[in-house]
Amino acid sequence: MSAVLPGEIELEHASRAFRVRGERGATLKEVVLRRRGRRGGPPPVRALDDVTLHVAPGETLGIVGRNGAGKSSILRVLAGIVPLDSGRAECGGEVVTLLELGAGFGRDFTGRENIYLNGALHGLSRAQVEARMEEIVAFSELGDFVDVPVRTYSSGMLVRLGFSIAAHLDADVMLIDEVLAVGDEAFQRKCLTRISERIEAGVTLVLVSHAPGAIERVCERVVVLDGGRVAFDGPAPEALLHYHRMLGTEHGAGAALRAGPADRVLAVTEVELQDGDGRTRHVFHSGEAMRVVFTVLARGPSASPQLALEFRDQRGNPVFNTSRTLELDGAGAQLVLEIPHLALLGGDYDLVCSAHEADDPDPGIDRLAGFSVADEPGVRGVADLRGTWTAAEPVRVAT
Amino acid sequence: MLRYRFLFEQMVRRELRQRYKGSALGVLWYLVNPLALMAAYGLMFGVLLKVPGTRTEDYLLFLFVGLIVWLFFSQSLLSASGSLLEQSSLVARVRFPRETVPASVVVVQLVTFLVLLALVLPVALIVRGSLSPALLLLPVIVACLFALALGLALAVAIGHAYFRDVQPILAAAMVPWFFLTPIFYEPSKLPGIDRHQWAETLLTWVNPVAPFVQGVRDIVYDGRAPSAGVMAYVLVAGAIGLVAGQLLFRRAEGELAVVL
Repeated sequence: MSAVLPGEIELEHASRAFRVRGERGATLKEVVLRRRGRRGGPPPVRALDDVTLHVAPGETLGIVGRNGAGKSSILRVLAGIVPLDSGRAECGGEVVTLLELGAGFGRDFTGRENIYLNGALHGLSRAQVEARMEEIVAFSELGDFVDVPVRTYSSGMLVRLGFSIAAHLDADVMLIDEVLAVGDEAFQRKCLTRISERIEAGVTLVLVSHAPGAIERVCERVVVLDGGRVAFDGPAPEALLHYHRMLGTEHGAGAALRAGPADRVLAVTEVELQDGDGRTRHVFHSGEAMRVVFTVLARGPSASPQLALEFRDQRGNPVFNTSRTLELDGAGAQLVLEIPHLALLGGDYDLVCSAHEADDPDPGIDRLAGFSVADEPGVRGVADLRGTWTAAEPVRVAT
Repeated sequence: MLRYRFLFEQMVRRELRQRYKGSALGVLWYLVNPLALMAAYGLMFGVLLKVPGTRTEDYLLFLFVGLIVWLFFSQSLLSASGSLLEQSSLVARVRFPRETVPASVVVVQLVTFLVLLALVLPVALIVRGSLSPALLLLPVIVACLFALALGLALAVAIGHAYFRDVQPILAAAMVPWFFLTPIFYEPSKLPGIDRHQWAETLLTWVNPVAPFVQGVRDIVYDGRAPSAGVMAYVLVAGAIGLVAGQLLFRRAEGELAVVL
């Protein structure tokens, strides 16, 4: 077994499977039954399947993948919280984790007391925590709230406290999961700046996120996970493109987001993005024609069926949404939305949609289709409002 | 382990804060419960129901000395058994020595025990005139009692994380175990015990808590040194309990984040 340097990460043929259980924990009865060889339930889920990965000290790695692709499992294995079934995982030096919102917080402790507790969890002494206290409190921008029990905190405040603590522990490796997405825009930017400083100081960073924006800004290298395996490993731009292509093509078009649309009377079962000529596409140019083909399934009579759709930017903000009454005869229908001129600028977008009763208070999302719009020179933003420039009458200033 | 001394302190604070949060008495509840039990048992066995054959001389002191040992032991195991589950959000998401979770619970119980001992001991010394050099052995017995309770607490805590029957089994076992521990009686003085020698052996030596009760009572109530047999038993039981509990915990803690 070779020793790893501080800040170095090594995974060699790492595999880990989880049994799926309805109820957590086993009772003696279950243990006895299992001994008799009566095994029930679904087969184990392979969260990590023969993953080999080497991260050099000071490298910044992003991990993307769909839900259940093994992103969180990798972090928990690297943090030493979950052991491997086979293979080897090593993380050199001090490892600081930020895995979940408010994990490791005592709810009845004040913010300040939680700083002590979290410092202690990472092996710091009282003096070491006290030396950092003011800096952490200042960074968190919590003000007087730092002396109030955290059970009164909003999720944004929890993120600020959690991140402020993690960012001020002397880490060689930082493992950060998803959490950043909860904070407000200004604090996110501050976090990213702080992360960049830590990276310059030689810290190795592993960032798992659904927000490709954050990963793109911070990480040089990105690993795409799929079904517990490494589907792509390379420079960030290529990896993110690969990820989007994977999301688009996996199901022919769009991923199912609802586990069981089967129990709903109405559901969108397929979304396909096409170009003006009817060919399936996932990368578009601004101003091109786009066709969206929806397949809606109806399992019974419906009073006022409607189809709702929303375009979202990469942060999940709505860009455009609309709905339309459906005319269903029989089992279902196919609808086409023709967009003659795609007025979006470069970036990644998601199209989410659902079919439901018009008065459904919580329609949710049936399907998602991701697509990218290629960057255009000289313009930035979301909406394509490019027009033509002409010289107007010369302006005369009255004297 | 030394590196995590501060963590330990913080975990004890966390334990103190969480158990009786929002209650008016707060931490004092740790004392209210045993004091209420002592009052109830005192009334029952000391006043209303005289156990035949036991010494009646300062009976309440005799009873309380045994009772506080038992309360420490049983409360440590009972509250430790669910401790990992209660702290599952921490255990599943942060890497730290997990022993500190059940251990901090036992330390809180130890503090309770020491406070009760500090209440009972001076009274016993005055009323019984039991001040003697044997008192120097008391810290040894208490340390061994702590080691045994800690070892078993580690075992039941990890056991309960894997099999959720451990805590209910333990809770059910505590009542008969209480009666099989010489707390409100002395085995050798029970009527007819000389015809059932095995019963006396069972009550005195097979039950691991009995020698601790005996030892503490010898010193505090009788003002004499415990027998060599009791001292040897106490030392060995403490050492075996702690080592075995720790080994079991180390072996099984790997999957802890998964099973919780």
